[in-house]
Amino acid sequence: MSLLVASIGFGLVTASILAVAAVGFTLQFGVTNILNLAFGDVMTASAFVAYIATSNGVNIWLAVALCALFGAAFSALLNRFLYTPFVRHGTKLFGMIVVTIAVSLIIQNALQAIYGASFFSLKFSAGSSYHIGSMVFTTSQVGIMAIAVVAMLGVYSLLKFSKLGKAMRATASDPVLARSCGIATDRVIDVAWLLSGALCGIAGVALAMNVTSFTSTTGGTFLIAIVAAAVLGGVGQAYGAMLGALTIGICSEVAAGVIAPSYKQVVAFVVLVLVLLIRPQGILSEVADQKEVAA
Amino acid sequence: MSVAWQFYFSTLLIYLAVNVMAVWGLNLQFGVAGISSFAFIVFQAAGAYTAGVLTLGPSTNASFQQYVGGANLPFPLPVIAAGLVGGLLAGLVGLVGIRRLRTDYQAMVMLVISLTATYLADNQTNVVNGPAGLSLVPKPLEGGLGLSTISYQWFYVGLAAAFCVIIYWFVRRYTNSPLGRATRAVRDNEQAAAALGKNVFGLRMIAFVAGGVIAGISGAVFVEFIGAWSPGSWLYPETFVLFTAILVGGTGNNVGVAVGALLVPIGFLESTRFLPNIGYPGFVDALQWIAVGVLALIFLWFWPRGVIPERKRRFPHPGEKPVGLAALRLLRLRR
Repeated sequence: MSLLVASIGFGLVTASILAVAAVGFTLQFGVTNILNLAFGDVMTASAFVAYIATSNGVNIWLAVALCALFGAAFSALLNRFLYTPFVRHGTKLFGMIVVTIAVSLIIQNALQAIYGASFFSLKFSAGSSYHIGSMVFTTSQVGIMAIAVVAMLGVYSLLKFSKLGKAMRATASDPVLARSCGIATDRVIDVAWLLSGALCGIAGVALAMNVTSFTSTTGGTFLIAIVAAAVLGGVGQAYGAMLGALTIGICSEVAAGVIAPSYKQVVAFVVLVLVLLIRPQGILSEVADQKEVAA
Repeated sequence: MSVAWQFYFSTLLIYLAVNVMAVWGLNLQFGVAGISSFAFIVFQAAGAYTAGVLTLGPSTNASFQQYVGGANLPFPLPVIAAGLVGGLLAGLVGLVGIRRLRTDYQAMVMLVISLTATYLADNQTNVVNGPAGLSLVPKPLEGGLGLSTISYQWFYVGLAAAFCVIIYWFVRRYTNSPLGRATRAVRDNEQAAAALGKNVFGLRMIAFVAGGVIAGISGAVFVEFIGAWSPGSWLYPETFVLFTAILVGGTGNNVGVAVGALLVPIGFLESTRFLPNIGYPGFVDALQWIAVGVLALIFLWFWPRGVIPERKRRFPHPGEKPVGLAALRLLRLRR
């Protein structure tokens, strides 16, 4: 029983990281219709930025902010100078997937060419531990969860209450109509990629903080869980992704604790398969239905 | 030709044969049926493992590798079994992946399937010997023929070529048949094909399973030659290389994709073999992957239909006089 509770504790940390990543991933799809499979690798790149920063004595929380900036800039530039030109050039759905996978390979192997295929760990102190029942959290884990909660509340209020969020949702549902209503869709898309890129960067550092060591493929493997969370919630749905992340984060850590550690990724996969069989458009499916991703 | 060069060229030819078979399988799934089969390498891996295990003999507690279902079958049987397993696995994946999904969504799902399969093979150490993989798979008929090493190399080239010929015959029959035509119709316009009473899911499934069988056979021919197979040999980027070969060669065109297989996995990846070793081990590999990614981007931008595009098939309307090549072909048919 205490093992189960402890696993749920780990699950909450994983879910926080996953939520940040999945919301970023799903926002990119929602606003620009691109399933960016290079997302995990941009996360890895951010983790390396944090590695360089912390190795040079930068405080870990400052490094998180740095990575948010890096992720935002990198993703926005990627979209502006690679993805958008390809879309304008007439590259269709499948072609765009090839583009994103090509980018993923390029980033992953560029990192490997520069840093080699060895293991890296961030240099920071995990801080003192807190016990809540049989759950144990280190200060850094509490920090990760706090950042995730703040980020999620921020995204929620942005989409719900701000004019920019409204413009984003309008662009997501019909870019042509949005443009003719006077919304500067190009700028809205840039902002959306900056925002999702920042989430991507934060998730990258948080992932590197949570695992003991990372390699140039860590983010790519984490993509399984991100995709599962996004698909479970209905791809393109920010709130759905939060829900999906919570489900998958906790389920995978409980499976890892109760069955065996190697089942962590498998749970995400099983959830994905079940969703595809039963309800391929996800739980909250407005956006997915509209974009006809699945029927 | 010196022995070393002979050895190099024969090995290269076998690699080419395996890759050509694989792209024909993938072309059936993606080029003809329009399925974004980013899990393709999993079927090849399944075939390779099957053939390896069925050649190695039963796994005992004493042996250094642990796997399930070992047997000592004579030569063609492991390859046939590999084809069956590849097809079966494709059927299972197809049940999940070939639903009415948007192509990019489908590609993402398939990619996750591929990632998970590698992860499982890596972590379940007793099924196919985990990260170390299978090794020391005996070569077929090596003892019985009594050939020298180099003659055996050329013998295996012939064997691989024979499999290529059989598979080419099969994919050609497939794509030229009414079945292939209906499958292409599903690819080009799903709604219209369904409205004409075509079974969209069924047609896709047949192509997908057939592609899986071919993938399994290609994996078997490969593993029987190199004698080893581990999760590191079938990471998802390998599927990407095959997709790049298809994009470069010409999606949907059997001859085109074979040329693509010559250009991309063989020409492109082998050309760097003679570069001096710069950096640490693995540095050149990383650069190669970057180059493959860039190549895919360049082709998508400039030549999205490949160097030998799919021939646009024309059929005369009923009552309309056939013109040009179609008329010639019809004349030949009537004779």
